[in-house]
Parts: sequence; structure tokens; C-alpha cells
Amino acid sequence: MNCSEFESRLHPFVDGELDVGETLAAEAHAAECPGCRNRVAGERRFRQLLRRQPRESVPPEFRAMLRARLRRSARVAAIRPWLVVPAAAAAAALVWATLPGVSPSTNLVGNLVDKHIAYAQIEQPAEFVSADRAAVEEWFRQRAGLRVTVADFSPAGIRLAGARIAEAGERKAAYVLYEKGRTLLSVFTVPVAVGEAELSGTRVSYRGRDYVTQERKGYRTVSWTEGQVMFGLVSMLDYDSILQCADNLRTERSRQARL
Amino acid sequence: MRLLGWGGGADRAREFEEVALVHLDALHRSALRLTHNRPEAEDLVQETFLRAFRSFHRFNPGTNCRAWLFTILRNAFLNRIRQGSHEVLEDDPAAWESASESVTQPAGGGTHPQEEFFQTVLHGDVDRALKALPLVFREAVILADLEGLNYKEIGQVLGCPPGTVMSRLSRGRGLLRQALGRFAREHGYVKESE
Repeated sequence: MNCSEFESRLHPFVDGELDVGETLAAEAHAAECPGCRNRVAGERRFRQLLRRQPRESVPPEFRAMLRARLRRSARVAAIRPWLVVPAAAAAAALVWATLPGVSPSTNLVGNLVDKHIAYAQIEQPAEFVSADRAAVEEWFRQRAGLRVTVADFSPAGIRLAGARIAEAGERKAAYVLYEKGRTLLSVFTVPVAVGEAELSGTRVSYRGRDYVTQERKGYRTVSWTEGQVMFGLVSMLDYDSILQCADNLRTERSRQARL
Repeated sequence: MRLLGWGGGADRAREFEEVALVHLDALHRSALRLTHNRPEAEDLVQETFLRAFRSFHRFNPGTNCRAWLFTILRNAFLNRIRQGSHEVLEDDPAAWESASESVTQPAGGGTHPQEEFFQTVLHGDVDRALKALPLVFREAVILADLEGLNYKEIGQVLGCPPGTVMSRLSRGRGLLRQALGRFAREHGYVKESE
């Protein structure tokens, strides 16, 4: 085997896709030719680099939701098998029926959900990476002159991951990022004008405090306003967990206000 | 219709979970890398598993379930592109051949200094470079190098012979390396002259 024959077999050789005879011939050539040996080493390093990529798992809520849907679908199929016949159509209907309607409204909460989704997709969602509440509060003060309360959700297994200054509705907002396993929880603190933040959604009361909940694009949001500040929590976590965090944050804020 | 032959729906769901749902993470990762959009990826994965579940009676136990699922995922993804035209389809990989010609490095020639950047490539860079890769090459690289499918399995998913898999992989990897080398220079890891 000469260099150009080797060259044309380089990828299948490194991928282990050549037959025994060709593999032996390629090995023999590489043993004699330092140039081709280097090419093999380079290809192997490149494969390793790709294999080192983070292997993300699906969020547990998504897995649970999918399993529930499959089981429901199985029950329907067992009872009324004729429903299964137009398979693609039925599958599409099941998927679309559960998607929230796209609202034309460009309200602030929707804006926060978009931010949450956008940040979740970038490799380093936090500009400032820290699990230290005091350090994150200090970072906001120094960086943007913002007094932001960073609450501790760690008893619920929700860990502080960092912070960033976000743009929301064309103004600066503080964005504190938490993680529970691989599920993100975003806490936005957004300055608003009086009466501006007319929060739409379902009004709920939790431990004596009022909130507005809204589901958008599959994400759950819990928001409220305090004077000229709007708070918005966005996550795929269940409402109970998010409300618990919201309650925790408000308790921490009133504690700080008393000091 | 063998559907009723599966007995109760719960049995069928359990069997499906054991055989197919174990590949959920792999499918989800690939969907993310194909769509670059988390809600869309989840939606796509959901559609894939619902479709797979509905045609599970046609799945031949003992054959490759992972490749079967990737095939369904890819078809669902292509359908979406055709309907929504989110992404330009490069139906003609040959059109890319001339563009990627320069990627092929000369045989021999000692060490390759640009390989040094492999140690310093940031995780985000690989996704960024993959995103810029034409779909025909991106899907081959994702299946081979990120999910570890072999040529036969990839050929099954992409509906092409192993020879085509091989040439798409070598071009795709070449383009990916070029892009990563560019990012490394942007980060200042590799000097312009290299």
C-alpha cells in the first residue's frame, strides 16, 4: 500500500471499518511511513476531542412526560386499535394538542422565557460563575450597581450556578441562574414602571403570598411585582418547586429589608 | 395488524421502554445538535418516540433499535424542514465537494501544528462548528463521532451506501477541523502563521 492508497482508506481505517486484509496492509504502511502515521494520530486525537463533548441527559421531567404520554397512547391503542391506523396523523395530533398556543403578546414574562431558552442553549449561560450567594450579590453591585437578593434554594437540591446581566424588554435585568441536576431555574429581577407590569396568567396564592403563573413554550413561570421591581422565575421544574423558591426569595428579601 | 397481538397496552409500553426508550438521551442530544433549539428538539424527540411506538409492531426484535430510532428522528426532522424551511437543505452533496476540496491535507509532511489546538478547543466551539456544517455532513459526523454508530448503521439511517457514508464523514470532519482551527485562532491559541 502506498501513501495515496493509504490516504483514501484513512477514515475507514481509523474508524475500524476496513476488512482484516486491508487493516493489516494499512497498519504495515503506517509502521513504515511517519507521515501517514502522523495523519492517523491526528485523526485519533480529533475523534477523542469529539467524544469528549458533554453527554447531556434529557431533563427528568421530559423523560417522565414522554413515558406518561406513551403509556396513555398504549392504553388508547389497546382499547380502540382503529385509532392507531393513521399513525402519523395521530402522532402529530398528540404532539400538537399539548403545545401551548402561541400568543402574539410580547409581554415581559414571555420575554423572560425566551431569555431562559436562549441562555439554556449557550455553553456558559452565566457570565459570572459562582455558587456563593454573597459573591453573586457583590458582583451585581460592582458590575451594574444593582442590589439583588440571591436566595438559597439548596435545601431543595437547587444549586446556585451564577449570574448575568440580561436585557429584558429593552432594559437591564439581573439574572440569577440555578440548577437542579441538569434542569435550569432562572430568577429574573426586572425594574418596571408603576402599573407597567400587568401580569397575565393564572393568579395563585402560595403560603399567603400572591403570584401569577403562566406556562409558555413548555416552561413554567412564576412572577410577581414588588413596587417597581418585577420578579420572574422560569423553569421546567414543577410549579410546586418553583413556588417554593419564590416564597424562599420573598422571605429572604423581607429579612434583608428588616436589617 | 398485529397490534392486538401485543396483549395489553401496558405490556407493549413496557417492552417499548426497555428496547427503545433507553436510547432517549442519545436521540435527544442529536436532536439538539440538529435543531439548535431546545423546545424544538424536545418536540422532535417526542414525535419520534410516538411514531416509533405506533410502528413498534413492525420493528423486528433483534435488529438495531438505535439505528431504527435515528432513522425515524431524521425523517421527522426532514419533514419539519420541508414544511417550515428552517434550514436550507443541501440535497446535493456534490455541490460541496469542490468547496471542501482544500480540506484534504497532503499526505506525509511531519506533524501538523494546527492539531495542537485540539487540547484547547472549548466545548462550545464544537457545537458552533457543527452548527455551521452543511446538514449532509453534520448528520454523518453526529452519528459517527458523537453517537458512535458504525458505517452500516449510519448508512441505514441516512439511506445511503457505506461508501457514501465514508466520503461524507471525511469531508465533514475536514470542514469541522477547519472551523475549529479558525476558532482556535480567534481565541488566540494558534498564531495566524500556523
